[in-house]
Amino acid sequence: MLSLPAAAAVAVFGTLYGAAASVFLGAPLTLLSSLLVYSGALQFAMVALLGAGATTLPLLLTAVVLNLRHLVLGAALRSRFESGPRRRALLAFFLVDETFGFAIAAGNAARPGAVGAATERTLLVSGLTLYAAWLVGTLVGVLGGVLAAAEGLAGALFPVLFIGLAALATRRRSHVVRALAAAGLTAAVAVLLPDLRMIAPVVAGVLVALPGGDW
Amino acid sequence: MSALVLLVIALITYASRAAAVVLLPRPGARFETILSRIPAAIFASLATATLLGEGGAPASVPTLAAAAGALGLSPARSLLLCLVGGAAGYAAGTLLR
Repeated sequence: MLSLPAAAAVAVFGTLYGAAASVFLGAPLTLLSSLLVYSGALQFAMVALLGAGATTLPLLLTAVVLNLRHLVLGAALRSRFESGPRRRALLAFFLVDETFGFAIAAGNAARPGAVGAATERTLLVSGLTLYAAWLVGTLVGVLGGVLAAAEGLAGALFPVLFIGLAALATRRRSHVVRALAAAGLTAAVAVLLPDLRMIAPVVAGVLVALPGGDW
Repeated sequence: MSALVLLVIALITYASRAAAVVLLPRPGARFETILSRIPAAIFASLATATLLGEGGAPASVPTLAAAAGALGLSPARSLLLCLVGGAAGYAAGTLLR
């Protein structure tokens, strides 16, 4: 239910992506990219690179670097999953930043013994919802629809969503301290090393998780 | 960009998602403790990243106000309340702009 506002925002960005990408990729490849890749950050980066005249190698390197964060998100989810490898292989397709957040929040809210089921069900449902929104948005964009007026509102939803998910994920005071440290580190990277801005959140999240104990 | 390059990018993306979810065994207790600390930190970082543009330029006033509204209600630890706070902040920021 709470994934619906996120789906609306994703649809708006899908529309923007569809309109921008169809200039470089054409309609069929633009639709295929959303169907197969399903990664807003990577797909917008691809459009930016294509617009700058990038060749194949930079595109592939960007895909590798931007996708590194999935290893961390996947590892955090793996500890909660209880199903077999085939079902996990299906669920993996729906692993994006937002669905990771919804799945972690659902697992935190579940009673002991139901964490795995709640996490997996939420990843699947929110993943399908956001996937459908991304595809519909891309199609509307390819067909010439423009939702520029809603871009500001959609853009504001993501920080709000992530703040809410951070609040849900903090279970100890030390989690709050680590979250604030990670936010500060990310802001510093955005200012001092802007080229690393896209991978800063995951790197910061891992770095602050390593030292010390919990209190 | 050809369809083949697109296919390779899609495979890289799926492999990155599946690598840990499918191939890793369940982590041990020590590793699980570290992993449990990661989500809140990553979400706080993602929130920060979405509030900063190229070169660390701040987002628009309504977006910053929405984030402030959500942050103000975050101690309640309710996603719905954070969304309500964000909506109120966005409306206030739009009026202030």
